[in-house]
Amino acid sequence: MKLPPVLRLLVRNFESNLDLITLLVMFGQPAFLIVILGTMFNPIVTSSSTSGSYTAFLVPGMIASQMITGAVLSGRIFWLDRRWSMVEQLFSGPFLRAEYLAALLLTTLTFALVGVGILALVALPLVGLPLLSPLELLAVLGTIGLGAIFFAGLLITIGIYIRSANLYFTIQSLLQYFLIFISTVYYPVTSATPVALRAVVYSNPLTYAANAVRSAFQHRFGSDDLVSIGILAGLAAVTFTSAVVSFRRVEFGPVQ
Amino acid sequence: MASTLVAKATDLGYAYRPSEFAVRHLNLELRRGEVFGLLGRNGAGKTTTVRLLTTLLTPTEGSGELFGRDLRSCGRAERARLGVVLQSESLDFVSVERNLTLYAFLWGVPREVAKARAEEMLALFELEGSRKRKPWALSGGERRRFQVARELMHEMELLFLDEPTVGLDALTRQRILDYLAQRARAGLSIVFTTHILHEADLLCDRIGILQRGRLRALGVPAELKRQYRGARFVEAEFDRAVTPEEDRDLDALLARNAPEALEVTRGGTQLRFRAPNPEGLVAEVALWAAQRGIRLAKIAVREATLEEAFVDLVTDDGESRLGAVEAP
Repeated sequence: MKLPPVLRLLVRNFESNLDLITLLVMFGQPAFLIVILGTMFNPIVTSSSTSGSYTAFLVPGMIASQMITGAVLSGRIFWLDRRWSMVEQLFSGPFLRAEYLAALLLTTLTFALVGVGILALVALPLVGLPLLSPLELLAVLGTIGLGAIFFAGLLITIGIYIRSANLYFTIQSLLQYFLIFISTVYYPVTSATPVALRAVVYSNPLTYAANAVRSAFQHRFGSDDLVSIGILAGLAAVTFTSAVVSFRRVEFGPVQ
Repeated sequence: MASTLVAKATDLGYAYRPSEFAVRHLNLELRRGEVFGLLGRNGAGKTTTVRLLTTLLTPTEGSGELFGRDLRSCGRAERARLGVVLQSESLDFVSVERNLTLYAFLWGVPREVAKARAEEMLALFELEGSRKRKPWALSGGERRRFQVARELMHEMELLFLDEPTVGLDALTRQRILDYLAQRARAGLSIVFTTHILHEADLLCDRIGILQRGRLRALGVPAELKRQYRGARFVEAEFDRAVTPEEDRDLDALLARNAPEALEVTRGGTQLRFRAPNPEGLVAEVALWAAQRGIRLAKIAVREATLEEAFVDLVTDDGESRLGAVEAP
């Protein structure tokens, strides 16, 4: 039986781009951070600012950051497909650009959600995991899904306009670190946070995602979080539309 | 007539930037089962033409058809009937063997068929020993063979090969050309770009020559060779070097009998020139030599090679001598 084109591309994305080292870096690094940062900071971070142990605070933030992990993989696949002319090769075959983008999106979502599962397993022995209601679970997965679409759209758009691997991967790394560190993934924003930094943190979509996931984990998911998800959905729509539009003018030919 | 065409271009053009046309006023018909060679210098517009005809680029002017459908509205159905070997390398990050079967999977080829075809391609392109290696670890020639082999993993009606034989040794090149000729005899249409004119001469039923984005010549190789200034060469070799006085005589003879002779080279025992209808002149040269007691070790008239015709055509003054090929 012939699979639909999107699923064929999805299988190809997984098979062609995943090796043990990539998987270890993608999922091992956040798991490592949960264990090490959680263990090292737990004794020195006051529970008043984190509403409990630091590890319990960190885990939902790291889980939320999986949206970036999935998106980074998509950006990498797209860039390497350009570098090795697979974009040109696939588009000269029986695939539509929309299908290629859909497959990238599915790859992003799959990886983000697999990352969530792995981090949840890593966190289980450290802090246990709350029993989420179906609504809270949906909120967590929806937030991460929308965030993954937002970042994937952003990275693909950037990847379309840049013709140098060095520049692309530098931008990707900077963006990744900037977005993760200037968000509420690792630390809360309190009244002691400088106003300027607070403004930057709250202009970062990852902050809203981390806060929404954290709220769900702490069973206090409310209307503010719904607004956060709404904003994330809007941003995801904007970057993904930008990726779709930019994709129509993707240039073929050598990139370095 | 229309049913015998697989692709058609009518005044087709593409500009990467406004008014910077990579291809312009391209008029071309590709027939079912023919091998069509697209020649031209670097940057002449060959790859852009391939991208236009494979729908990777949307024409910015003119029109075209692929399997009878307007190029601008072609989609999956038409592209599913194509095969494209790109000029640049394209690959997945898996072994050579898995690249072949994964590519077949992408094209929806059943697993068992793909497995058998992969074996056939690995043998045909002498890649059996490299099946477990990653494509980027192959030598340049092996990588090129791999590209062609991978594209042949699926069925197609029209195959575009953008410089498929770059970096291949003569034996491998011949083997691939033989295979392609065999596929063409079985009905596959092939569009072939190359810089190796000898192989275009051997393989192609018709040839188009692009210069600065315009199709300057179109025809069967023999026609093209004859088309330009008669383009027949006379090559003579004397049994001794001619003296300076004899050389002046020879010069006068050529000026008198063949004022339109081109590329005249004389020196020592050699004489070589190009002229239309040179048979009469050959007799004059033979008589001239006999009168001076010079024996002709060799004298021959030959057609221009495709390479000579090509060089003649794409020289800088080519544009002033030749117009673009008009719409059929």
